[in-house]
Amino acid sequence: MISYVLRRLLVAIPMLLGAMSIVFFAMRVLPGDPCVAMMGDQATTAALADCTKNLGLNRPLPVQYADYLWRSIRFDFGNSFRQGYPVNEYIGRMFPHTLVLVLASAVVAALVGVPIGILSALKRRNPLIDYPLRIFALLGLSMPVFWLGILLLIVFSLRLDLFPLIGGGDLDGVMALIRSGEVFLYPRDFLAAVGDVLWHLALPALALGFTLAATVSRLSRSAMLEVISQDYIRTARSKGQTERAVVYKHALRNMMVPLLTIIGLFVAIALTGTVLTETVFTRPGLGKMLVDSIGARDYPLAQGAITVFTMIIIAVNLIVDMLYAVVDPRITYR
Amino acid sequence: MAISRGVTAPELTVIGTPDETQARSRGRWLRRYLPIGIGALMALAMVVIAAAAPWIAPLSPSAQFADAVLKGPGAQDRHLLGTDEFGRDVFSRIIWGARVSLQVGLASVFFAFVIGVPLGILAGVQGRRTETVIMRCADMFMAFPTLLLALIIVTALGGTLTNEVLAIGVALTPNFIRLSRSLSLTIREQDYILAARALGGGQIRVMARHVFPNALYALVVVGTLYIATAIRTEAGLSFLGLGIPPPTPSWGNILSEGRQYIKCCPWITTFSGLAIMLAVLAFNLVGDSLRDLLDPRLKGE
Repeated sequence: MISYVLRRLLVAIPMLLGAMSIVFFAMRVLPGDPCVAMMGDQATTAALADCTKNLGLNRPLPVQYADYLWRSIRFDFGNSFRQGYPVNEYIGRMFPHTLVLVLASAVVAALVGVPIGILSALKRRNPLIDYPLRIFALLGLSMPVFWLGILLLIVFSLRLDLFPLIGGGDLDGVMALIRSGEVFLYPRDFLAAVGDVLWHLALPALALGFTLAATVSRLSRSAMLEVISQDYIRTARSKGQTERAVVYKHALRNMMVPLLTIIGLFVAIALTGTVLTETVFTRPGLGKMLVDSIGARDYPLAQGAITVFTMIIIAVNLIVDMLYAVVDPRITYR
Repeated sequence: MAISRGVTAPELTVIGTPDETQARSRGRWLRRYLPIGIGALMALAMVVIAAAAPWIAPLSPSAQFADAVLKGPGAQDRHLLGTDEFGRDVFSRIIWGARVSLQVGLASVFFAFVIGVPLGILAGVQGRRTETVIMRCADMFMAFPTLLLALIIVTALGGTLTNEVLAIGVALTPNFIRLSRSLSLTIREQDYILAARALGGGQIRVMARHVFPNALYALVVVGTLYIATAIRTEAGLSFLGLGIPPPTPSWGNILSEGRQYIKCCPWITTFSGLAIMLAVLAFNLVGDSLRDLLDPRLKGE
């Protein structure tokens, strides 16, 4: 098991390196100049040259590349061109926003998607149940998250005025209270801050969660179908067990492996979804940070964001693969 | 029906009177072919709309009607779906926008198919080092979700139609490599491959004449589904302002421009988004039903 993990980590290194190189060179061939993007096209040539020098962009490309890789090994992504402070600090501030969004939409997706998937697998012979569920799944799969987001904003923020139009809520406040340990001193403040975060989170999580629910329902439908046609299910049935016991005791337990696969896929899809969701809802977060930094030609920030995204996806896949062995004793790694 | 519960063999279903059987088979036929019919019709309609946009669109997509800026939709009106902030007709712009979506959707999947399938078959049939190199490269690109990879490429190259096709095509390629590899892994073990080799068929001949045709069904099914993905990705890129720049209408950029006006004029975003959804839905429906009809191997993927 340990040698397997080590081997997987070893394979992950070139993957990460490749991803980082792609971003690095993609950003450099970008037509825009970060200094022009910052200072506007009114800036004098001297000022621009000065800015280029300050940012270290006048060095030869291989030197910049080597420097970038060397710093990244030590998790130092440099300073944001635009804001000046370290990219790490920026990522640290944005990460919680993206994390709560992914978690909340995962809850929505699981609550909606898993029951639908299982139900449509069990009742696949009943067109009155199977058909509406499949149509629902297809709709969710085809609906772009940014469109659903805008529709939700139009109805619930603008018409009904129930939820905020922009922002991510007072997550910094929540984090500060937790970090300083003052949660129990000011429970009311804490709850108010949490409430504010949830209030800002509701529509984005609903939008992203719903579009993901479609994927989740499909995957859990096929997982359930796969499990239900296994021999041990027939054995359980022929023993005379009730349908309930068959589903809960035999089918659901054996669904853990496919379910893990779903979670692995889910993280990748959800992270992509955050890019669009955060943009629609003007929420702070890694996805919005990525889009903004590309627009502003803020190389370090964009590189940092992509690297973090890739690392999360690689890590989740690795963890999922290891958990396979935990939930299913038949799977071993050598 | 109790006897057939849990047993999938269809011959155990209770046989009714001839009339009943006929009605049931008609129902089954409808259930099998209705989704693909609807999907194919929608996709066909989209192709026709995109191809015939200059004749179908009631007004020019770039004409600015100063007397009708941000006008709401109305059935009796000159502007069926309203106008945008420059007084341009939203309906006509959406019709023209179909061109971008369809072109990018079809061309990028074609690109991914042409690059990915030969590589995947090569990896699957050849094995050993060739396979390792190809699959590691594919894995590297797979680490990025489609939209992210396309986003990086299209920012690097700039937002034009060709670059969008290239970006989404490259982002989709690893999927085709993976699928065609795994398909050819099974195919290469078949007796007819052995027979083809025994008859003196060279490696390339075996791949092109024997492996590829046998993988084609599954590849076409999945290709159709990826057209849906490509259309959605294109819309996402345009929405983020990275796709085709504004004067040319695309569904994504109409929606993106309309975002500033959702307070007063929600129709701009609503209808352009609806167009995206219907297009993606059409190809999803076709791909899905094709999979169920043609290729039971892929069921549940």
